[in-house]
Amino acid sequence: MEKNKTSEDSIKILNRRSFIIIIVGAILSFIVSLRLFSLQVINFNFYKKKSVENKLSIKLTPPLRGDIYDSKKNLIAGSSSLYEFSVFKNLSKDHFQEIEKLDSLINLNLNFEEISKRLKKYNEYSGFSLSRASWEQIVEFEKNKFLFNSIKIIESKKRYYPYKNFSQIIGYMGQPTQSSELYSKGVFHLEKSYEKHLKGTPGKIFSEVNAKGKTIREIAIEKSIKGNDLDLTLDLSLQNYAQSLLPRNKKGSIVVISVSDGSILSMNSNPTFDAQIFEDRENNKIQDLLNDDQKPLFNRAFSGFYPPGSVFKPISALVGLQRNLIDSQKEVFCKGHSTLGDRNYYCWKKKGHGKVNLKKAIKESCDVYFYELAKKTNIDDIANLSSNLGLNKEHDIGLSNIGKGLVPSKKWKKAFLEESWYQGETLITCIGQGYNQTSPLQLATLYSAILNGGKYPIPKLDKNTPTKFTGKLLNNEHQKIIVNSLNAVVQEPRGTAHKLSISNPEFVKIGGKTGTSQVVRIKESEREDDQYKSKEIEEKFKDHSVFVGYAPYDKPKYIASVIIENGGSGSTVAAPIAHKILDFAFKNNV
Amino acid sequence: MFKEFKSIFNLNWIYIFILLIIFWIGEINLYSAAGGSLDPWASNQLIRFLFFLPLFFLVIMLEPKFIFNFAEIFLILVLIGLITTLIFGYTGMGATRWIRIAGFNLQVSEFTKIALVVFMAKYFHKLNAEKTIGLFKSILPLIVSVIFFILVSIQPDLGTGIIILALGLVVIFYAGIKLIYPLISIGIILSISPILWNFLKPYQQNRIQIFLNPDLDPLGRGYHIIQSKIAIGSGGLKGNGFLEGSQSSLDFLPEKETDFVFAIFSEQFGFTGSILLISLFFIMFLIPVLKTFKLTQVFNKIILFVLSFKIFFEFLINISMTIGILPVVGVALPFMSYGGSSLLSNLIICALLLNFMSINEKKRMFS
Repeated sequence: MEKNKTSEDSIKILNRRSFIIIIVGAILSFIVSLRLFSLQVINFNFYKKKSVENKLSIKLTPPLRGDIYDSKKNLIAGSSSLYEFSVFKNLSKDHFQEIEKLDSLINLNLNFEEISKRLKKYNEYSGFSLSRASWEQIVEFEKNKFLFNSIKIIESKKRYYPYKNFSQIIGYMGQPTQSSELYSKGVFHLEKSYEKHLKGTPGKIFSEVNAKGKTIREIAIEKSIKGNDLDLTLDLSLQNYAQSLLPRNKKGSIVVISVSDGSILSMNSNPTFDAQIFEDRENNKIQDLLNDDQKPLFNRAFSGFYPPGSVFKPISALVGLQRNLIDSQKEVFCKGHSTLGDRNYYCWKKKGHGKVNLKKAIKESCDVYFYELAKKTNIDDIANLSSNLGLNKEHDIGLSNIGKGLVPSKKWKKAFLEESWYQGETLITCIGQGYNQTSPLQLATLYSAILNGGKYPIPKLDKNTPTKFTGKLLNNEHQKIIVNSLNAVVQEPRGTAHKLSISNPEFVKIGGKTGTSQVVRIKESEREDDQYKSKEIEEKFKDHSVFVGYAPYDKPKYIASVIIENGGSGSTVAAPIAHKILDFAFKNNV
Repeated sequence: MFKEFKSIFNLNWIYIFILLIIFWIGEINLYSAAGGSLDPWASNQLIRFLFFLPLFFLVIMLEPKFIFNFAEIFLILVLIGLITTLIFGYTGMGATRWIRIAGFNLQVSEFTKIALVVFMAKYFHKLNAEKTIGLFKSILPLIVSVIFFILVSIQPDLGTGIIILALGLVVIFYAGIKLIYPLISIGIILSISPILWNFLKPYQQNRIQIFLNPDLDPLGRGYHIIQSKIAIGSGGLKGNGFLEGSQSSLDFLPEKETDFVFAIFSEQFGFTGSILLISLFFIMFLIPVLKTFKLTQVFNKIILFVLSFKIFFEFLINISMTIGILPVVGVALPFMSYGGSSLLSNLIICALLLNFMSINEKKRMFS
């Protein structure tokens, strides 16, 4: 009995303990239920969104890039879809055997050693392009598709540039630099500055994927939209012809623009390059190009700045006329040099030009006439007029690396050289030397401004940009005097470029101005001298040969601006090139 | 050794019915985990279930006295099994948890839980003359529990080890140890836990850290918890519906057929389904427990109470893991996780519960 009683007590304890454990179990169940309530009811939207993101994959498909055409709708940059054999490392361990199998099945002539080397560093999940796939190869591949787990045919978009001579304007494409960019983009020149216009809208493939990223099914497809086309003012035949006129072994540039609307008809620079090598990823050629000290990527037409030389003289003449510093008929005596203070300033013609009026001064490019004018001239007037006529400013032609150049002023010198202006500097500025820096495009624009009477059309490359005029009107009389003088340079005997009319009488008649852009100052007295001792002077110290001309001279339609670096005098090198290109433009009515 | 055959009509059919419902839910769940396919899990699990049924009925028919008499032998068998596992065991996923017996991979630690409870039930039954149990009398079962905890934990299988230790402690608590001792122990454990931390393997420390902050490693170890929470949370109140669980069918959820099987269920059947499942398991827990109040034999009471608690306890631990309120320690969801050893040991437990629920204590059973 005794034993039984204590046993009953201990049973009571056991039953009490069960209640404690049951209550603890119930509390734990309640906590779990609360947590489930929080996950599934309170935070339902949050987790629902996450689950949708988890299962939905959006794959972007590259759009076709807009085409670029010349003014006559010749294609100069196009996009095409092409098919490539691509290997995905994540899809099979035996991917390399599969590559070898593919090569033996379809003769692709793959370089296994290089592929293996590059493949090692390649991302597992993005396809590594092995080779382009032709239709016959695709058919052959599809027949044997079951042999390949890791190789797929991938569609990609490629840019092609049929004409090498446009590379320095069109630019090229490059690989994405940020992870948010999925495909290549324009990185240079028009491809870069018109990126938004050209690139188009990518397509989207919405698909349900599993955790390994494998597509279970496609849900929806949004097609990609091709980018906008771009029509340029350039003329294919003129651009190609101009390039052929540039001497192969010399650096130089030719710009041809239309007088009426500022359209840039051709814009060449030598040496040039082939943008296609960037698209074809020919790494060796790209390396060579980047290392080339001739800088073929540098477009001298708008990025190259040189002293304009005598081509600048019309500005000085116009300032003289505007400020009544000269009378167009009044003559100055050129004895070969002019003196300011204790320094002599020489004319290129040592013997002197004798009696010189304005027209003769331009026609025969007499320096002394302009020295005498410069002695009375305020440099700031030169700078102001230059700006009005298109120098010392960036012309927005849709390219990002256009330079500004320089026409000096008192303010500029104070700010940048921290010195006051000397009148002697006005003398050399007035003949286009000294601090003057202009690009071939700016010089073409300057002559467009002169021929248009001061208000000139802003140069443009995009054909669909409306023609806009800028600048200030010139006095009609003054303008006529200058244009007559410029015509005389070619058309009248003793003109510095008169040779042109004699050697090619069948060519269109042009006007223009020769210039010699000084590289070294020592030879001040030797400029534009026919007895120029070119052979004795080292190539890199030779002057740049400059000519800006227009045709036809009586009703100007085209302007050509030519510079040949270290070419010598303007009349012998640049002028004949300009004449040829103007004749071509005129005869072909570009 | 066996009861009379007619006692089979005396079984608690409600309990069997709930067991079958839970197993059936588990089958449906494995079917949906495979994306609507019996292959590979649901069919295998069903074959195992059918294969284990004879054993299930065999255990139901065992004389409780037989179990009582052989309690120590079972424990020694299990001890040998665990040591064999450690020496000859089959290694998978960085742990040595299985031994091969007659072509089956057997996880001995699952059966340790049963043997330990049976052994301790017998031990405390013999002590039942005493009113409350002092510390000294609890030392032996405590030491045995700790030995098994260590043997399993070094496999390493910390989850099962903790369950074993917890069951041992629950038996001691249920058997009537003075309340002062558990309270003191809790105090001591809390104060030395920083030292224990250093004894954990780096991957175990890692699991706990990631449990505390899954975003530490969203694509690595935190991935399980994050994906599981997304699956469960996106189920909402009513669930996405049968076979409509996108997270699970699209393979976002790793180990979805074993430790994270609840996430599959909850994504499909939502909060409502989850509460229903919790209720089912709670009722399943309570049925044997209610019977204990009518019993006076300590051995019977402990077997019924603690083994019934074991199933419910594992259920709670498992879903707490999947909803991120406990670290991922690898405890299976009874009758729903894919796996033979867990299914077999839980079926044996249910058989024992059914066996002991049909006991008529008017006969004196144990000496």
